[in-house]
Amino acid sequence: MISSETFHVVTTELVVGAFSVAGLSFTLCVLIHLGILKQPSWAPMFDHVAHFTLAFGLAATPFAILSGLSSAPGDGLNSPILVNKMFLSMTGFGFALGCLMTRWRLGDKVWSTSKSITLHAASGLAAVGSMLLTASAGGTFARGESLLDIFHLPYEQVLLFPMLVSVTVLLLGASMLVLGWMRMNASLTVH
Amino acid sequence: MKSRIHTVLVLSLLLLCSAFGAAEPGGNGDSIQDMQCGGACHGDASINETSNAILSLSSPATIYVGIPTTLTLTAANLETSSTRLIGLFLLTDMTGHSDTPQDKGWEILSDVNGGSMNYIEQTLNPGQNETNISWVIRTSTLGSTTFYAAIHHGGGDAAPFFGTSTIGFEVSVEPVPEDLPRLAADFTPPTLRELDTPTELNIKTQFTDSMQFEWKSEDGLISNSLVNSTGNNSWTTTIPAALQPTTVQWRVILEGEGPEQTTPWFTLAAEESSWEVAENAVYLQAFALLFMTAGIVIILQTRFISKPATSKYDETPVVLEDLALTQPSPTPQGLTSDDPSPPLLPATGLPIGWTEAQWNAYGHDYLAGKYGGGQP
Repeated sequence: MISSETFHVVTTELVVGAFSVAGLSFTLCVLIHLGILKQPSWAPMFDHVAHFTLAFGLAATPFAILSGLSSAPGDGLNSPILVNKMFLSMTGFGFALGCLMTRWRLGDKVWSTSKSITLHAASGLAAVGSMLLTASAGGTFARGESLLDIFHLPYEQVLLFPMLVSVTVLLLGASMLVLGWMRMNASLTVH
Repeated sequence: MKSRIHTVLVLSLLLLCSAFGAAEPGGNGDSIQDMQCGGACHGDASINETSNAILSLSSPATIYVGIPTTLTLTAANLETSSTRLIGLFLLTDMTGHSDTPQDKGWEILSDVNGGSMNYIEQTLNPGQNETNISWVIRTSTLGSTTFYAAIHHGGGDAAPFFGTSTIGFEVSVEPVPEDLPRLAADFTPPTLRELDTPTELNIKTQFTDSMQFEWKSEDGLISNSLVNSTGNNSWTTTIPAALQPTTVQWRVILEGEGPEQTTPWFTLAAEESSWEVAENAVYLQAFALLFMTAGIVIILQTRFISKPATSKYDETPVVLEDLALTQPSPTPQGLTSDDPSPPLLPATGLPIGWTEAQWNAYGHDYLAGKYGGGQP
């Protein structure tokens, strides 16, 4: 049996490690597909590595979030850094989810056009960036310093929407998910 | 479908374990707890081990109704885990439920950590195997009450240890003598104050003509503060600001017609003012961000790769086939990587080292000269 704090450290390391490898692989993928790195035979390998590590990191993310909440000192969200961590991790979760769902349902087609390549790699890299920012905020919260402190990120400021705006965004996002899912299925349907 | 349900169930179970299944060697925080500590493993007879700690309670000889008094717990022969953390309980019976002092009509005015809890956590110093902690308590009813103490701690083999005081400690509450100088029955001492701000205490008393105020810092140095009378049995005094989260203890010496009285030491903890947020709004916004980002990615991705949907009523392929039979086929010149159809193979066949799938994906770039010279 281990404490929530230790469990949070373990899951955070899994998330950050997996997402870091995913970020590197997505970068190499986009360089290959845009013809900057002229090694087309490497493309499938980095494609698989990027998506596998992204999926692995995504699976570990809920454990990191829950253990982080239960291990934080005091009751609940009692620091603006914790709130920003929650927002960043859920945003990263969304980017990663969208990236993986499109790769799963659309297959290699995500690498078929330059726009699609750019968007797919950007969504994967945005997920990675969000998770690394989350980890940086965690370092600032626990130790008072982080590697990304050189950017002077405003972790102490919270942009909190009114409930009505959040509900609207939630419904809009859910509608887009459903619509996107239907469009992905339609593109796979053989009539 | 069945395997997916199993996967979801297993993942859900693991998620629940992450929040509820872990031990808490880092402690649980001071709180109002019964002896079982809300079902903690220390209180589970099937998995806990008996602590060797010796617990004993003590109090002043005379306890008056409505007047705060100190109950001191001495814990000796302590063995702990590497965290050196112990949790100590003040209880009024050993049943494991409804056993807090509050359940017997006692009010905890102050604990040693600057709260008013019956469960207190302490971290021992290296080599320390004995500690004393005290609670300031008060009751408004006459009679006797038996107090007990309990302890939770870890050990070398990671087992949860549990121990109790061997015998109860009985206190008798007597009627308060007439004209005894004392704190007012409705006065509740504060337990927390903010950093960087001097603390003004407003103290209410009864049968008191004059008052002295003493406070001591964590290093034990006792100081006095000036007391001003603000009315009949109403006093005000100030404790200097704390620059760090520390505790001070204070007491008053009351003089009047009756015998001089000295109150217990009340603990006052300084802490940064807490930051609050509407948690429901945060969680809602977090999920809104999740759905929104995932939705935007999926919608845009399907748009960027989308082709006109076909259906069984769509005769376009047939028409195109007919057109292809009557018209010469277009040359591959001018195709770009945005055209999803594979390019025609050069006369020399696939480039060396290329597979057919790679040609389908990157053939356009090859013809455009982006790979290996790019000459077909």
